[in-house]
Amino acid sequence: MIAKLRAKFPTTTPWITWLGALGLLLAIGLTCGILIFWRGLAITNLTDLVPWGLWITIDLSSIALSAGAFSLCAAVYLAGLKRYEPVARTATFIGLIGYSMAMLSLMLDIGRPDRFWHALVYWNTHSLLWEVTMCVCLYLIVLVLEAMPILAKLEWLRKRFPKITAKMEHVHHYAPYLAIAGLCLSMLHQSSLGAVYGVLKARPFWYKPEMAALFMFSALVGGISLTIFASMLSARLTPKARVNDTLLERVAHFVGWALVPYLYIRTWDWLAMTYTYQPGRSEGLDVMTKGPLSFNFWIVEILFGAIVPMILLLKQGTRQNRFWRMAALAMVVGGVIAYRWDINLGGFLVVVSYLPGEATVAYTSYFPSLVEIGAGLGVIAFGLMAFSLGVRYLKVVDHRYVAQEHETVKSEAPETVLA
Amino acid sequence: MFTRFKRLSIALIFALAAAGGTLMAANAQDATPPAPIPQGSEQDCAACHADYQMSWQSGLHGQAGDDPVFLKAWEDQGKPGACLICHDTGYDPATGISEAKGVTCLACHSPAPDNHPANNMPVDKSTDLCGKCHSDSRFASDNWMMSAHYQRAMTCSVCHNPHSAGMKTVEGFATTEDASSLCQNCHKDAMDNFPSSKHAEAGVTCVNCHLGFNVGSADANVDFADAHKAPDHSFIPTLETCNKCHSTQMHAPGQSVAAAAIKIEEAGGTSTPEPTPVQVSTLPVTNEPTPVSPVGYAGLAGLVGLAAGMVLAPWLERFYHRVSKQHQHEEEHHE
Amino acid sequence: MSDANFSRRDFIKLTAVGAAAVAGTRLVKEARASSSSPAGEHQWAMVIDQSKCTGCNYCTLACQAHNDTAPENQWNVVSEAGEVGGHKTYIARPCMQCAKAPCVEVCMVGASYYRDDGIVMMDYDKCIGCRYCEAACPYQARVFNWEKFEGKNPAVPEWGSPEVERRPRGVPEKCSFCYHRIDRGLELGLIPGVDADATPACVGACPTGARMFGDLNDKNSLVSLVLKEHASYRLRDDLATGPRVYYLPADPKEMDTEVKS
Repeated sequence: MIAKLRAKFPTTTPWITWLGALGLLLAIGLTCGILIFWRGLAITNLTDLVPWGLWITIDLSSIALSAGAFSLCAAVYLAGLKRYEPVARTATFIGLIGYSMAMLSLMLDIGRPDRFWHALVYWNTHSLLWEVTMCVCLYLIVLVLEAMPILAKLEWLRKRFPKITAKMEHVHHYAPYLAIAGLCLSMLHQSSLGAVYGVLKARPFWYKPEMAALFMFSALVGGISLTIFASMLSARLTPKARVNDTLLERVAHFVGWALVPYLYIRTWDWLAMTYTYQPGRSEGLDVMTKGPLSFNFWIVEILFGAIVPMILLLKQGTRQNRFWRMAALAMVVGGVIAYRWDINLGGFLVVVSYLPGEATVAYTSYFPSLVEIGAGLGVIAFGLMAFSLGVRYLKVVDHRYVAQEHETVKSEAPETVLA
Repeated sequence: MFTRFKRLSIALIFALAAAGGTLMAANAQDATPPAPIPQGSEQDCAACHADYQMSWQSGLHGQAGDDPVFLKAWEDQGKPGACLICHDTGYDPATGISEAKGVTCLACHSPAPDNHPANNMPVDKSTDLCGKCHSDSRFASDNWMMSAHYQRAMTCSVCHNPHSAGMKTVEGFATTEDASSLCQNCHKDAMDNFPSSKHAEAGVTCVNCHLGFNVGSADANVDFADAHKAPDHSFIPTLETCNKCHSTQMHAPGQSVAAAAIKIEEAGGTSTPEPTPVQVSTLPVTNEPTPVSPVGYAGLAGLVGLAAGMVLAPWLERFYHRVSKQHQHEEEHHE
Repeated sequence: MSDANFSRRDFIKLTAVGAAAVAGTRLVKEARASSSSPAGEHQWAMVIDQSKCTGCNYCTLACQAHNDTAPENQWNVVSEAGEVGGHKTYIARPCMQCAKAPCVEVCMVGASYYRDDGIVMMDYDKCIGCRYCEAACPYQARVFNWEKFEGKNPAVPEWGSPEVERRPRGVPEKCSFCYHRIDRGLELGLIPGVDADATPACVGACPTGARMFGDLNDKNSLVSLVLKEHASYRLRDDLATGPRVYYLPADPKEMDTEVKS
């Protein structure tokens, strides 16, 4: 059948098909976005009981999966592990895309998108969400600066504005300072995103200090996993991307070890909630482990999100096998997204009554509406398209790349493979 | 010398800064309060309070001055001034001049302060103000003073809408067939047992016994054709109340209530509306969490199974070949 | 730095750094994660007597009319609260105007803020509609305007006429203790809790007088006296939000009283 299609559309390459599919999703997303801005949030399935749904999950996941940028840049420029620089380069680009996706989904989600700039002008220093917004905005600036050398690779830009491009490449000189800023800002907001949930004493399912730590850990593993996975996938699919497999295997090894404390804390988080009854918390745990979220929790988040990848990445045999490594990393990414979905809904699906006497608990339900799904897919398609274009035109996945200035440092151009 | 590009970008920055600055300044401003209405114009009240004007106009208060029945009766009796004390606003018996025709806003909301709307229009919500007109002996409203409602400091406007001169409607909380649903809205405890009683089955409602309305008719205009007559607002049923329907059973022992000739069977009462539930907030909540969808579980498990099958396929195939070869060997050996 | 080179410029620099350091210590002292309502001249509180509440919802309707809310956005919610001595009891729940309000702490643009008279105010102009306050409120006191309320308000004019503007689409709203009535009343020299025009609409609308309002700073106000004489409770006291709405539990002896004519 594919042969027949190929015969019908001889000039259509897989690349064009891919772009076409993404373009279609983007168009759907754009339509849904316009509908949202026009008709308001009443056309979603969000309610006063579940005010945050699919888009918040996409927002949280995008920010978490962009964590590869700060961690790998810190490793390269602060810990001195220079050989990982090409991977850090990919991660920075993915970070830029991820934070843009987060901004897009937030624009959809807030009730008054035209007032999004209020967060920067009106401050409430007591609010964790304010802190997250400030850090995210500042970190976006850091990311843009870190990505300048990447964007400077664009041929069209080099021809048209050679002087500006030169200046953009020079920003690379400040990479260590940007890495410090990025590390501080990222550590702040990645954990604060967990604390956003963790400080609400009205919601006992969330009201615990390890929320911040868990969000931080899951972001760390998820972000690096996405970077490696995206690099390996691009190398498999196109000759424009070239990766050094040994390098990626080492980073994957690190991910395997990083999954251990994450799994440990997550297990204790779950286990501690099973002790003694607390209205709201125990029901939330039931919803997550036995109720509508149970498949997501046990299979996607724990089994395939943490346990299986941990084993696959710690065992040398499976780690060195490219297929299993990619599978494990993809599972970690899925687990991180599932974790955020579970946390968000676990708190909202349980409604604790405020009436006096013994607290009674009722349950509500949520499933995203078509508009929400459409807009969400549009945001994801935007991210995929930006990354694909980056791979093709900006050579973001290219482990042969070694910066001019590093030529003075003794580092041999590594062997690269087509993966 | 700046290049054109630099000049354009500087101009753009200035333009954006100016736009942003005006936007922020505009947002920071307080809403301007409405300007006070100049006094003395005919359309004083209705200019701002159009809603009240409309509900007043459609009700009996608004029609008090223009009602043809009233006008005819008034003219027939020689246009006595005594009527105008209530049917006009601010009628002065000494001079025979009224401030305004009919029952206007100023009948209850006076004296108007100079700086309205900065200062509120006064209104006395107590029974005294309504009683200025509605305490005519024909209204039999002395009974109201005997009621528990009055003694607990309730006023006429608890049940009556003073502007439309009708009953209050509890929108969204009760259906208003007759005033009984308003009674039920507060006296929810009484609704525990009444709906299952024989009286309720026969179509008797609150207003029949406690206000003296005839069973089956809820319209005051029918029951109390004389506009100056009002139902007994003491809400205390007397023997007369029972006799309205059970007169033939007085002093007739041994007859069951249901079988006796009760007028009510001919009258055909209105059925008691269902006790109005308190409007709790319409949270879409359930007492149990939504169950795990078996289809979803099966579907996802199926996908996992598919993946596992694909992964295990080579080994399974090898195993199959081995088993079938063994089987073949065994067959050959047997032959 | 030897004395010979310690110029005037250095002296100024040193002083500036020193001043900044002192200012910094002041900031450190203020750095507390949570905030609290400041104490002002008045401290408004509401008392609701469950013995008198019949669940008639007049308060809900008056609030809907005076604040121009959509029928599905109830700021005051009346719920059944079980039976006491054979009588059904009800709880009317406005915004608790917490002294330590979770919604004020979490609002990222500071659109929720304390007034020094204890009312938790909403600045609808600042709000961006992120709904964090809605997630944080333990009393579900906030409703979000998923769409703008257009059209006729069914409670107007029977239950009152609107005294504040309708909120735009995309902001959450909540009971405001009718601050506009309180402010206007104080300007005119009226007493909130005593004069109906200066008191929240729900308090005036209650036919049984179950709702009381007043100034806790005034020892002789109705709420102060009632709270001194009667046992009272607040909702979700365990969360230490410091609500300013007190409830007098239903007393079956009071509910049984019949007036003999």
